[in-house]
Amino acid sequence: MSRATIVFRRITVWTVLKWALALIVAAIAIFPIWWMINVVFALPGEPVSLNPRLWPSSLSAGIEKIRMIFMETEYLRAYGISVVYALLTIAGVLLIGSLAAFEFSLFDFPGRRLLFGIVMLSLMVPTAVTIIPTYLLTSRLGWLNTMQGLVVPGLASAFGLFMLVQFMRAIPKDMIEAARLDGANHLQIYWHVALPLCRNALVTLAILTFMQTWGNYMWPLVISTRPEMYTVGQVVGLFNSPLSHHTVDTVMTANLLAAVPPLLFFLIFQRKIVEGIAMSGTKG
Amino acid sequence: MKRITRLRAGIAGAAALIVGTAGMAEAQNVTLEYWVYSDFAQGEALALQQEFIKEFTEAHPGVTINITGKGDDDLTAGQVAGAASGNLPDVFMNAQSVGAQLVEVGALANIYEKWMAMPQEFRDQFDEDALASCMPRPEELYCIPYTGFGSLLFRNLTVLEQAGIDPSVPPATWDEWFAQMQKVKDAGLYAIPDETLVFNSIAEIYATSGSSETWGFNWDDRTTRIDPAIMAKVLQKFVDMAPLTSGTSRNDQATKDLFISNQLAFHTVGPWVNPTYEEAAKTSGLKYDFVLIPGDEPGKTGGIRSYEIVGVAPGPNMDIAFEFATYITEKQQMVRWAKLLSRYNANAAAMADPEVSDLPLIKVSVEAARGAMEVAAPYFIDSVPSCYNSTVIDYASATADGEYTPEEGAQEMIAELNSCLAE
Amino acid sequence: MTLRRYLPHYLMIAPFMVLFAAFFLYPILSGLYYSFHDWNGVKTPEFVGLTNYQKILASRDFSTAMTNLLWYISITVPLGILVALGLALLVDSFTGRWANFFRNAYFLPVVLPAFLAATIWRWIYAPNFGLLNMILGWFGVPSVNFLNDTDTMLYALIAVDVWVSAGFNMVILLAGLKNIPGELYEAARLDGASKWQQIIHITIPMLGPVLFFVFTYGFISAMQVFDKPWLLTGSSFTSYGGRRNALLFPVMDMMGRGFGEVKFGEAAAYGFLLTITIVAVTALMFGLRAWRERK
Repeated sequence: MSRATIVFRRITVWTVLKWALALIVAAIAIFPIWWMINVVFALPGEPVSLNPRLWPSSLSAGIEKIRMIFMETEYLRAYGISVVYALLTIAGVLLIGSLAAFEFSLFDFPGRRLLFGIVMLSLMVPTAVTIIPTYLLTSRLGWLNTMQGLVVPGLASAFGLFMLVQFMRAIPKDMIEAARLDGANHLQIYWHVALPLCRNALVTLAILTFMQTWGNYMWPLVISTRPEMYTVGQVVGLFNSPLSHHTVDTVMTANLLAAVPPLLFFLIFQRKIVEGIAMSGTKG
Repeated sequence: MKRITRLRAGIAGAAALIVGTAGMAEAQNVTLEYWVYSDFAQGEALALQQEFIKEFTEAHPGVTINITGKGDDDLTAGQVAGAASGNLPDVFMNAQSVGAQLVEVGALANIYEKWMAMPQEFRDQFDEDALASCMPRPEELYCIPYTGFGSLLFRNLTVLEQAGIDPSVPPATWDEWFAQMQKVKDAGLYAIPDETLVFNSIAEIYATSGSSETWGFNWDDRTTRIDPAIMAKVLQKFVDMAPLTSGTSRNDQATKDLFISNQLAFHTVGPWVNPTYEEAAKTSGLKYDFVLIPGDEPGKTGGIRSYEIVGVAPGPNMDIAFEFATYITEKQQMVRWAKLLSRYNANAAAMADPEVSDLPLIKVSVEAARGAMEVAAPYFIDSVPSCYNSTVIDYASATADGEYTPEEGAQEMIAELNSCLAE
Repeated sequence: MTLRRYLPHYLMIAPFMVLFAAFFLYPILSGLYYSFHDWNGVKTPEFVGLTNYQKILASRDFSTAMTNLLWYISITVPLGILVALGLALLVDSFTGRWANFFRNAYFLPVVLPAFLAATIWRWIYAPNFGLLNMILGWFGVPSVNFLNDTDTMLYALIAVDVWVSAGFNMVILLAGLKNIPGELYEAARLDGASKWQQIIHITIPMLGPVLFFVFTYGFISAMQVFDKPWLLTGSSFTSYGGRRNALLFPVMDMMGRGFGEVKFGEAAAYGFLLTITIVAVTALMFGLRAWRERK
């Protein structure tokens, strides 16, 4: 039998179908993003509705639009605000969440189940329910248009706590005991034993928090009323508004730029993200 | 003892009066928050606003003014939230139609007394109707009318020519206009956006038959003013137009895109789309113009009229905020503003300025606003429940879909509107 | 001394619990308080008993929103999981670089901010010239106005929803698949079970707990659906829910009553009705699971 027939016999109908399906689904997942890139990298004034935009047609026009948005609008500052907002939120969520998760998952103390239960219940409350009272409290603290106003109310993340508890439960109790016998105190056990063991979970939570903070629209809208404190979501909202003077391609450029950081984040950390999400789900 | 107190009070009062009239801002260190529509906080418009601010603050040492642009929905949401926490913009723009809500939450002050204290010649600069729409009751004035619009009919001339229509004669009546729409459809192009999708576009078409007297609200008995016979006629128009539309709404970006790419003939909308179309005319050779929306009879115009307002919040900064509001709405500023944006505004004296009145968009806008229908009058009396607009949209679309005959649709819509208002 | 013994534990959870109490418990309790009051955010709240709740339950928008929600959830949650499971099985059947490639490709939409997904899909759905209608046109299908035709609006939303969320659930299910011991399949194959039988009798039962997680999480987020329908219909606080309220959902209605009509008491009551529903159904699901496991 020649080699060709062997190969041929291995390629069954099933394999062909499988590949076709996988590729089609990949196209469906990716194409809308690709389409947006093509709208951005096309000459201005070329209407979107005329052709389906399968390829980018003008690299320089796209670059010019990006330059215009960065130089002539408040986009760059909003980028900075959003990055700081996201980084501070990540740092806070990780620190505060892991401290609490360490206790809830590895130790027993009076009230543990009750407190944890209440926090878990909060996952079921739509965020919109609490937005007005939270806003009033934040403004009473004098935190409107401040970074702490954006960041602090979001730090006690019930989802983050849930995820970290799931991970830390897997830490063997013996390791804690061993560390204690070596003379480590409570805080040292947390820092030197628990944290390194759930590094993956922390990275995943950091990334999920990043994506969520980056896409958050409603909270910055009420807290940041001054343009100096606008986030990327708000600035893109100005482009998207029906009164906007911008043509479609410029609006799309503003939208696309908002997607770049999370996309980059994903491409860099894809393995960690995927593993982390997977673990949080399968250990539940 | 008592006399001394009274004397002291008198002196203080007199001093306050002198300070108040002579140089209000003297020795004040205040910061005003000034919120404007997002399109007024971009590019050249922003530059001019900043110039106004500079001129005003130079004349009023110690005053700082922060300008912030917001999308129209965010303006209201921000003010409502701000009212609850006491963080209101001191001077702001918004739409007349949300005025009642803003008064209710204490975000908008009655400026009647301050207004009456202004010199007669200043007050006389404003369009009487526009000013009257800011006054729900005697001695209550809630806004200075600012930019305004009467809806226009933007026409894509290339599409019209392709459909064999002579664009040099704009349609004079609804029938002529509708005949043109059908020709456009026959040429394989879209005549008009789906006007049943948005409250304002329904109102624009209603105005081709109806008028301010048969639109809006009777707040005394909380009923709608919509007339069943007129509404039935208008619903019939929606049924007739249904096969000719692009399926996109008046406000969709896709609608502008279709217009720019010579696939859509007509777009009824306010003058704010003009910068986009002007830009397209330069970059992609769009040929378009804007005319009055024709009504049922020659000489009658359709379309709606509304003003953006400049409002002042109650509070310690109210005096200086009001002064700033009168500064930006004064003729000199309104002339500069109108010239820059080609936008019609409520300062009639500014509109009469030859440099302004010659601008084509303003010329048409003045006429359009004169013949147009008030979109949600009377304003500032009570907030319109959200079921009102959605009921109008629901029945207009359902009738266009063929679920009701126009007569049924009109009857049921009005019954539903009255029960919505009564709640 | 018990306090001394437990003090370190309490100190460690203190930052979380304090913030949680301040920015979650307090707001929600004050929300509960306002739900029994007529309140516009400014004036002193006026006690009105259950009036807010009665008004909402009697309103037409509430029943529309709840009906829409019911349809939406009963399609989007199972469909989303089915698609995710299909994708997971598909990716699992590849190895090495290609498995990675497909997994990442399917996950990509998850990463986008919600406003972006809505902006893109509004164009894809555009009548006559939108990408989707263009493709349908090749097959001679007349143009469909996906986002304005009341027959298609809900499905248009569900498609976007699945597009965004399938990748997330797929990744979780994929990990579940990897945890199923290979011997089980080996044994089944020796018994002559077909691929399909293996999926039904081994894969799905072994995925049970993971599926339960995905299902519960999907259900809770579907109950709170807000930004996608809001943006797809181009809603604003004065007009929302799309044509004939076909995409009106409870959280949208609640936001409209709050910021559009300035009735914060009513909005708060709305939130509580919704929360109670979510908690009740979730409790029911956990109860059912416990009951089945005991059997």
